[in-house]
Amino acid sequence: MFFEKIMSISKKEQVVTNNMRKLIKLLCSTCDLFRKALEKDDRNLMRSLIDLERESDSIRREIISKIYEGAFLPYLRPDLCRFVEIVDHVFDVLEDIVLYYLDGKIPEQIKNECIRVAYLNLKCCEMFLITFEAMLKGNDLREKTLAIRIYEKKIDDIKFSLIKDIRNIPINNFWEGKILSDFISGLTSISDIIEDASDSLQIINVSMK
Amino acid sequence: MKVQEFMKTKITSVDADRSVYDAVEKMVDRRIRSLLVKFPGKDLNYGIITARDVVFKVLAKRLNPKDIKVSEIAAKPVVCFDKNADICEAAALMEKKKIARVFICDGNKMIGVISLIDIMAGALIMRARGSHVF
Repeated sequence: MFFEKIMSISKKEQVVTNNMRKLIKLLCSTCDLFRKALEKDDRNLMRSLIDLERESDSIRREIISKIYEGAFLPYLRPDLCRFVEIVDHVFDVLEDIVLYYLDGKIPEQIKNECIRVAYLNLKCCEMFLITFEAMLKGNDLREKTLAIRIYEKKIDDIKFSLIKDIRNIPINNFWEGKILSDFISGLTSISDIIEDASDSLQIINVSMK
Repeated sequence: MKVQEFMKTKITSVDADRSVYDAVEKMVDRRIRSLLVKFPGKDLNYGIITARDVVFKVLAKRLNPKDIKVSEIAAKPVVCFDKNADICEAAALMEKKKIARVFICDGNKMIGVISLIDIMAGALIMRARGSHVF
């Protein structure tokens, strides 16, 4: 593969790229499970997502330690670490919104829109995986990153209508309102972070050429 | 790719007996180019009013938008598509009927609208996924 050819890949690099792939696939699975749990209002399934966040942490640690053991050329290492940190940040946000969900209740008026955002987040993650695979093959990422930006824009549009909608929902106390607000802002920020990660991927891709 | 993936779920509507002025106010306020028109009676008794209708049928003729009812200039019936229909079918229908948007239905319920810009976004995503159908 292109990436492997350029980097004169050794075992360490292979471990890093495999783990990066594993991390992004885990992200897709987590987003999918989140969507299903939200759709079915399944709190146990939702709770299980916290374990996936822990798993992502351990993959991230493995990747970073392999990079610092000497995988890849030194000039690439900060960008690769940054990329992994951004992907890991998506898991952190997902864990936060799971906790908000378990702590509160999503009003029926906005439930369908929240499920739609969760579905688009999943599609965005799948496109991110396609982008990563394209980078490994040395393909142009322009069309892929554009698709991620389209998903992000779509979610942004829904976010503004959700913000308008929640103004009409009766809130009993400060914390109920705060939890709902934090849930929505977390749910709608996932695609922003994926967009950042795809930009970071683009930087890595360009700096290798 | 299904139309439901790319549709907008927020449909802004206006009652058929309101004035064109009310419709214009809504369109300008929300920066949208069309409104679903709700006629009284059974489900799916809808029409559509677009910025084009307002300008060509009312303003260009120097008519007072406050004197004209939405029902007088709305197009009816609206073109509806099943939520599971393919995005290419929607594009072909829009081309054939020379329209800029189609509504998406789930049985008797209207659940979204898909416009030309959504079709273009869908086409770009299909290209990125490696399925060039357009």
